[in-house]
Order: sequence, then C-alpha cells, then structure tokens
Amino acid sequence: MSHKQAGGPAGESAADWCLYQLNGAAEFEVSEGIARAAAMQASPHCPANVPQPSSEEVTSGADIISTVEFNHTGELLATGDKGGRVVIFQREPESKNEPYNQGEYNVYSTFQSHEPEFDYLKSLEIEEKINKIKWLPQQNAAHSLLSTNDKTIKLWKITERDKRPEGYNLKDEEGKLKDLSTVTSLQVPVLKPMDLMVEVTPRRIFANGHTYHVNSISVNSDCETYMSADDLRINLWHLAITDRSFNIVDIKPANMEDLTEVITASEFHPHHCNLFVYSSSKGSLRLCDMRASALCDKHSKLYEEPEDPSNRSFFSEIISSVSDVKFSHSGRYMLTRDYLTVKVWDLNMETKPVETYQVHDYLRSKLCSLYENDCIFDKFECAWNGSDSVIMTGAYNNFFRMFDRNTKRDVTLEASRESSKPRAILKPRRVCVGGKRRKDDISVDSLDFTKKILHTAWHPTENIIAIAATNNLYIFQDKVNSEMH
Amino acid sequence: MEFKLEAHRIVSISLGKIYSARGQRGGLKLHKNLLVSLVLRSARQVYLSEPGCPPEPPPAAAAARPPEEEPAPRTAAWAAEPPPPPPQDEAGRDCQGPRPRRCCCGEENRGGCAGAPPPPHCPRKRSAGERGQAGSPVKKPRREEEEPPPPPPSPPGEQEDMETSNVASLISIFGSSFSGLLSKEPKGRRRPPLDGGEAAAGTAPAEAAAETGQICCDEPVLRTLNPWSTAIVAF
Repeated sequence: MSHKQAGGPAGESAADWCLYQLNGAAEFEVSEGIARAAAMQASPHCPANVPQPSSEEVTSGADIISTVEFNHTGELLATGDKGGRVVIFQREPESKNEPYNQGEYNVYSTFQSHEPEFDYLKSLEIEEKINKIKWLPQQNAAHSLLSTNDKTIKLWKITERDKRPEGYNLKDEEGKLKDLSTVTSLQVPVLKPMDLMVEVTPRRIFANGHTYHVNSISVNSDCETYMSADDLRINLWHLAITDRSFNIVDIKPANMEDLTEVITASEFHPHHCNLFVYSSSKGSLRLCDMRASALCDKHSKLYEEPEDPSNRSFFSEIISSVSDVKFSHSGRYMLTRDYLTVKVWDLNMETKPVETYQVHDYLRSKLCSLYENDCIFDKFECAWNGSDSVIMTGAYNNFFRMFDRNTKRDVTLEASRESSKPRAILKPRRVCVGGKRRKDDISVDSLDFTKKILHTAWHPTENIIAIAATNNLYIFQDKVNSEMH
Repeated sequence: MEFKLEAHRIVSISLGKIYSARGQRGGLKLHKNLLVSLVLRSARQVYLSEPGCPPEPPPAAAAARPPEEEPAPRTAAWAAEPPPPPPQDEAGRDCQGPRPRRCCCGEENRGGCAGAPPPPHCPRKRSAGERGQAGSPVKKPRREEEEPPPPPPSPPGEQEDMETSNVASLISIFGSSFSGLLSKEPKGRRRPPLDGGEAAAGTAPAEAAAETGQICCDEPVLRTLNPWSTAIVAF
C-alpha cells in the first residue's frame, strides 16, 4: 500500500491527481426518463476504460449514481443508484506479480437493495433510489452496511464464501444421497477452495419509521445504534431492533403552516456517542447531546452565521440551505456545503465558520436561471481527506474542487472521459468570469449544468477519491500514491 | 419596476414548480416545496410593495363587490397555458364567500398596488390545475371530499386576520389539484390539521372553497396568497 500519508507537508492540492479507473457506461444524455447511450455497456459500473464501438441503447436514468461511500479501511467502496441497486467494489490487494493491477477497485458484489413501492394510503410511489449508504465498522469476517431510500433503511450483510466442504459420507458431489452399499469407509469432509462467492443478505429492515423523506443516516461510534433523519424528524435505532425506534428530534410545528425550516442532513460525532449534529434548510447547524434529554429538540449548540445583507436576493434562503454536513475525522470541526460555498466550523465557535471557501461564486448572478432550471436545488456533498487538511466538493460541468486548508490553495479538476487518460495527470481547470481569458478556460455560460458532481468520497487514509458523475464512477489517485506500487 | 417584473416572473415560475411537483414520482419533496414557497413569498412581497401598481379601491367597495365581477385585465399579464374548459360542476362555484378581494385592503403592503378592479378571483387560470385534475383518478376522491357547500362569508373584521394569518392557499394546491390557488380560504373553513395531516398526506385538508382548480394569479389574489401554508400541510 502507499506509504504516502494523506496530508503530508507538501499539501494535497500539490498532489497530482490522475485517473485511476473509470467505471460505467460511456456518458449519455440523461433526461428525466430516457437516456441514450452512445456506447453500450451491458451492466452499470462495469469497467469501461475505452468506449466501445457505437451501438445505441435506450436506458432509463436508473444507473445514475446517487451515493458513494468508502468503508472504514478503504478496502471497499459502495455506490448506490437511482434504480435501487448497490454495487460494491473491492480494492485488489498488492501483489508483486501484477504491479499494475494493485489498488484497483473491482466489482465485488452487486445487489438490488430497494424496489419501488407504493404507499396505498397516500397514493404515492416510493422511489427506490438509494439516498445514502453507510458502512458499519467491521466486527468479524463479514462486512455490513446500511442503505436507505426515502422510507426504509436496510442492513445488509456481505459475506464471502471461498471454500466448500467436500467428501461427505452420505452425499455425493451433487448432494444426492449415496447408495449406502457403496460406502465402504468413512472420511472426514475437507474444506476445498472454490471460486469466491460473495453473498449479500438483508439482515434487518427498518421500516415505517419515517413519514417524510429520509435524507441521511449515520452510524454511531458505539456501533450499536444509528440514526436516520427525514425532513422533520430524526430517529435513533438499535441495529438489532427493527420494530421500534426512538424519536430524538422533532421539528414539526403543531401547525404545518408555520413550517419554516426542515432538516437537511445529520451525522453522529465520530468519537462521542452522545453527540450529533443536524443541519437545516436555513443554513444553521445544531449540535445535540443525547444525555441532556430524551428528545433533543433543544440544541446544545447552534451554529449560525448572520446573513450578509449585501448579498440578499430572492434566493438567499435557498442558497443558504445546507446540503451536507460532515464531521472531520478528528471530531473537532464540521464541514458544511451550501449552494455556493463550503464552510468549516469549529465545534467551539457558534457564531461563524472558521473558514469559508467559494465553490462557484460566479453563479451568484445567475441564481434566477438556476432557479428556473431547478439547479439551485441540487444537493452537493462534501468530504474531508484522511488528515482533515483538504476538503473536496463537486460542482457543475463535471468539475470538482479541492481546498487545502493549510496552504489555502484550491484546485478545480474535471471528471470526464475526454480529459482523463488513465494515469495521465489531471489538468486543473479554470472558469473565467469575464476579463482575461486564458486558453482552456471555460466561460460561465458554457458550463454544462446537466453534468453535476453531487457525490464524492475520499478514502479514509489515502489519496484516493471516488467521484460520481451521473452514471459514471471515477476513481482518482494521487500519482505518488500509485507510483509507490 | 424592474424588480416588479422580475418578482412577477419569479412568482409565475414558482407557481409552475409547485404545480408540477404534484405529479412527481416519490411524492412531494417537502424541502424543495418549502424553498419554493419561500421564494414565492419574497417575490410576492416585492411585487406587491413595488410602486407602479394601479391605485387601490376603497376597502368597502371591494368587499361589497359581487363575486361575479369581471376580473381585471391582469390575465394578460400571466402567460400560461390556455385553460381547458372547466368541468361543469365547478363552473358556478366561483369566488365565493370570503375571497374578499381584500386585495389591497387589509394588506400591509398597500403601496398603492393595484387591484385594479379587484376582481374577485374568477376563473383565470384554470390551466394546469384543471388538467391535472382531469388526469388523475387519484384526485377524484379528494375532489369529492371537497364538495362541501361554499363557506359562509366571513365578517369583514376577519378579513385582515385572514390576510395575515396562515391562509391555506397553497394547501389546496396539494389537496385539490390546484384549485386552491385561488386561495381565499376563510379561516373558519379550514379543517383542523389532522395530526399533522400525516395520515392524510396528499389528501390535504380540503379547503372547501378551493374547488375550482383555477389559478388566479392576479394582483388581489397574490396578496392573499400565503405561501406558507403551503404544500407542507399536504403531508
């Protein structure tokens, strides 16, 4: 494995990122229902480093990746898509025999996590789209993860079977009973290796806990409980108990007409099992302590930055809505993403964030058009690197941005087939906002707003990132990282 | 004036979004609709408070005006899909009762905005609302629920209350295929929220008066439109 620690003194934006892998069908236009593939790939997320000769295929948007998550060691990478499927990739262990395949993420397992359902009482269809996946810390040979759609959370157990017993006395190879007269001696069955089989089984189904749409789940550091949050409520579940959950936050007003804000994301503190944070559509964060009371409606700390009056517009409220909140690995900071910025908050300071980074401020003058085409409602995620020195988030035109907190440098990179040859270093991109335009700059008006990077994940310890661009999964590695192999 | 135009445009866009949200797979997205209603409210406030609106008629006159009075020329301003012919049963059910064209009255932002002839609503924009209604069998039962007799006209004193209180204008949108947009839900008429309306999500507390699937986007209606009440109650 790589010896380079993420967050070394050189700083991550000094890191050279190169495309390591690209999984997914060749890009196609995705509209609400129908999409046409320029090149056909039979299954989603299958390795496709070279576009196949064209044959057109009409597919739905079911392949659109809706969540990406590394497990705690980084060995496994799970993606969920709009069609309710989960694909798990496993990193190939180092091997001296095949130096170039080291560290490659190959498909480990694919399964259908959620199916579309129909709520007869409300006459509503419940989408099967996977909103979030969270891995449980590994406690034995099996891996477990939680996946959720709008209403139901499921606990999946992933086990491997690579040996099977052979040499039964009473049964033959195919399992048929042997004729007893042919049995002349006794043998002890022996485990023989077999082709690896990955079995995924649903161990728990946590249903009927939410009236509104579940937007986040978070596993507690106690490894026994987890929470799920919808627009108005947060529930605490025990991983082993499916028939009840505790409601720990309820911001539903007595009169729905008085509703002014909703919960947009939530997460448990990485070390303190009693603390969790949730963000609101008004841009505030609330840190709650479960020791204080059973119902944590009253926050322990409220993190809110007063609005800048000079930036006021019709859309101020929308763009201040927090779309994602993540604790740093250290537990000292929180990272939030709103429409135009990412902010780092110190848990000890409630009045304002300690750092604010502009992701794409050039969009500020275009808010009305973005409102019209619904882009203003896009929910971008954000991520920390392993050492909490660099933060990353996605943007439009398949751009993603990284900000180095130490050097204060930032970089814009693009996840696209055209500009990424495997192992070639990604070239930083620049969006020009009038004024001097350099070669290769892209103007704000040429940005493709249908190509948005909402979901990104950073390996827990190494400089490996997974970027979901519509239906494609890009895995980038720091060049130094890959050269060590 | 520019702000007014922009506000106007934003209001139409917002209404369009709320409407189209109905048919969305997966049900209404509470968060998005809340944000849209926030924008709608801000835009509406700007629109109503901007100078340049036609002068307001005296409150008394407005209230007294018979419902059938013809709507202001506002219709023209509202670009929208041509309204399909309204269903028979709703034809008559017009701006009834307390849809006080309070328009300018009772509205804090007087700003001389025009209600021009505060036309009591009236079948302006049936458009999308109607279509939606016709299309889905799901909506029929709800409509039936809303058949109740028109609300009793509320006392004049209540007008202001209704204005500033949480009139369930948008609620109806979700409950009765957009008929609610005409707003004017007399306070008394509103069904008490059922346990947060959870069980009845989607079958919003039928604001009875709201049957007629019209979208009245004219000035007076705008004033009474309280985006808050909103969608959310539909849940």
